Amino acid sequence: MSSGTARRRMRSAAWRISCWATVAFACGTLAVFVFLHRFVASDMQRRSDEWLAGEVETLGDVAERTPKNALYDRVVGEVAELAEREVSNRQSSAGQAGAPVFFLQTGGDGSLRLWVGAGDGALYQQALRAAAILPGRPTDLRVTGVAIPFRVASDALDDGSHIYLGLSERDELRVLNKLRLRFFLLWLLLVLFGFGIVFFTTRRMLGHVRKITEAASRIGHSDLNARVPTTRRNDEVSQLAQTLNVMLDRIENSMRQLHTITDALAHDLRSPLTAIRGKLEISLPAVAREEDAEPIVAAIEELDRLVDFLNKSLDVAEARADALRIRRSGIGLCELLRTMIDLYEPSLAEKGIAIALQCEDEVKVFADAGLMHRMIANLLDNALKHLPRSCQVAVAARADGDRALLIFEDSGPGFDPAVLEHVCERRVKGRNSDGRGLGLAFVEAVARAHGGTVTAQNRQQGGARIEVSLPVAAADRE
Amino acid sequence: MRLLLVEDEIDIQRFLLRSLEEAGYKAEIAADGKTAQQLAVDGRFDLLIVDLGLPDMDGIDLILRLRQLGVRAPVLILSARRSVDDRVRGLEQGGDDYLTKPFALAELLARLRNLLRRNLPAQAETTKLRVLDLELDLLRREAARGGRHLQLTQQEFVLLEYLCRNAGRVVTRSMILDQVWGMRIQPDTNVVDVHIYRLRGKVDGDGQQPLIRTMRGAGYVLRDR
Repeated sequence: MSSGTARRRMRSAAWRISCWATVAFACGTLAVFVFLHRFVASDMQRRSDEWLAGEVETLGDVAERTPKNALYDRVVGEVAELAEREVSNRQSSAGQAGAPVFFLQTGGDGSLRLWVGAGDGALYQQALRAAAILPGRPTDLRVTGVAIPFRVASDALDDGSHIYLGLSERDELRVLNKLRLRFFLLWLLLVLFGFGIVFFTTRRMLGHVRKITEAASRIGHSDLNARVPTTRRNDEVSQLAQTLNVMLDRIENSMRQLHTITDALAHDLRSPLTAIRGKLEISLPAVAREEDAEPIVAAIEELDRLVDFLNKSLDVAEARADALRIRRSGIGLCELLRTMIDLYEPSLAEKGIAIALQCEDEVKVFADAGLMHRMIANLLDNALKHLPRSCQVAVAARADGDRALLIFEDSGPGFDPAVLEHVCERRVKGRNSDGRGLGLAFVEAVARAHGGTVTAQNRQQGGARIEVSLPVAAADRE
Repeated sequence: MRLLLVEDEIDIQRFLLRSLEEAGYKAEIAADGKTAQQLAVDGRFDLLIVDLGLPDMDGIDLILRLRQLGVRAPVLILSARRSVDDRVRGLEQGGDDYLTKPFALAELLARLRNLLRRNLPAQAETTKLRVLDLELDLLRREAARGGRHLQLTQQEFVLLEYLCRNAGRVVTRSMILDQVWGMRIQPDTNVVDVHIYRLRGKVDGDGQQPLIRTMRGAGYVLRDR
């Protein structure tokens, strides 16, 4: 995986959702464990305290009943060793360094009377004295030199002596440590697993949404037949897709209605116009004298202009409704401009207008060739019709990020400030214009149908500037 | 050459019939799809002119059915619709042609000739064109009139070549734009005329008989007589 896709993945919504879900999940499971851990630890302590209490009581009994003779030490010591062995049996971890249990008896004067256990009894006695353990309440005890604390229960005997029974917390701590380690591993596994599941399910689901978005953006002005993909499941995403498709059905339907209307209108006007044009044309050769032919010729030319006007009007109307039918192919703007300028240059030169093309690198757009031709022809026709003599026109095409810019600048009088704001609307024209006010409206309509824009303004140094911005062709569509 | 004109508008039928006959074609008329089907299957026509908006069926369906019935003649489709339907484009790729209404008669005749020529055995590609005293060398891209070399730009040469290939016939401005510049546009300015004036200035020198004639209301003709 390249770092680019990794970075893109980390910016995705699926990643963010899974991160937050994982944090919540991890915190939740951690809290459960802390609770469990505390419960287990206190339960283990309760059990060992109970055992200690029982043993201390027994030992106290034995110590009290055993006559204080030479055998006393042995009898009490053996009972204490029995308790130690019991612990060893119960918890199979004995035999390691340090005994799990110690027994200590102090005399009424505080001297060490009996010591059963590993190591030096005096150290334990010192620690016990410092801890001041009360009878009947088991307490933790740390002994210098011994790493693991003891749980100690004590009992006061009638003869003023104290007995202490200590149980190493080693096993308890080991169990808890093991529990913690296992839980941690399990927790890590669960969190990673949970993250994975959340990430992949959300990515899958959002993948459907992305597919819908992609499909919906593809369904542009020209491709209304396409539908967004639906899944068989009846979840929210699938409902979204279905709703979108229903909406598209409706849009397509109204588009078709609009096309039917404009087609019918065009048809009903064009058929009689065809007949009129044909009749006029047929009557031409019969007219002997040039002066007699003039009105017929003028009528034919007027008729052609009318047809062009009709076509443009319907195109503008359809484009305004985002319903202009376009057929895209890859077009090099510079090459097209060169051809068009080549076509218009003689006419412009005859009017004393100089035209220059600035086009360094080819700019490709994915557009309808016929409409592009007509759009540029319109812009050049505009220059030819409206510019006074000895003006300059500068045409430029260049790519600006993902936009292809087509810029027409001239040194003429510029737009009438009164109409500048609305110059791209239908029937808007300057005071001195003799056109029908469709030219720039058509340019705007074509740009709009291709997902572009047109800006018309007056340059500070005088003259007009028209900028057509179109999306650059994606490399894979050429 | 026998043509079948399938068109329901009587006005259009009438002037088309007249101009087709003037151009030397024999044409029969069918006003609806059913008649057209019978006539086309029975009679042997060299070419069909079919209007898309017929009263009883869609013109394209008619063409497709005729193709199924074994009618091989090329078709010139006339359409008053605004946009060119995908099926029309399909037919166009299959060797047929279309023309949107309203059209110039010269353009209709030019397209007819093109379609009929496609069905003839291919002629050896000429390298030289000669019209009266005008001579074009297509390989060296050179033109001369009466032995005088003409200084033409690349574009002017292509334009003159197109006129020569259609010598004696009217070519309209939109035909010139389509064939020479490769674009179907309708400029509302005199761009084509200026190119023709320039070319005429070079071809028709002082004292020579003018070759390029303007046919008002129609287009231009390169005289061949």
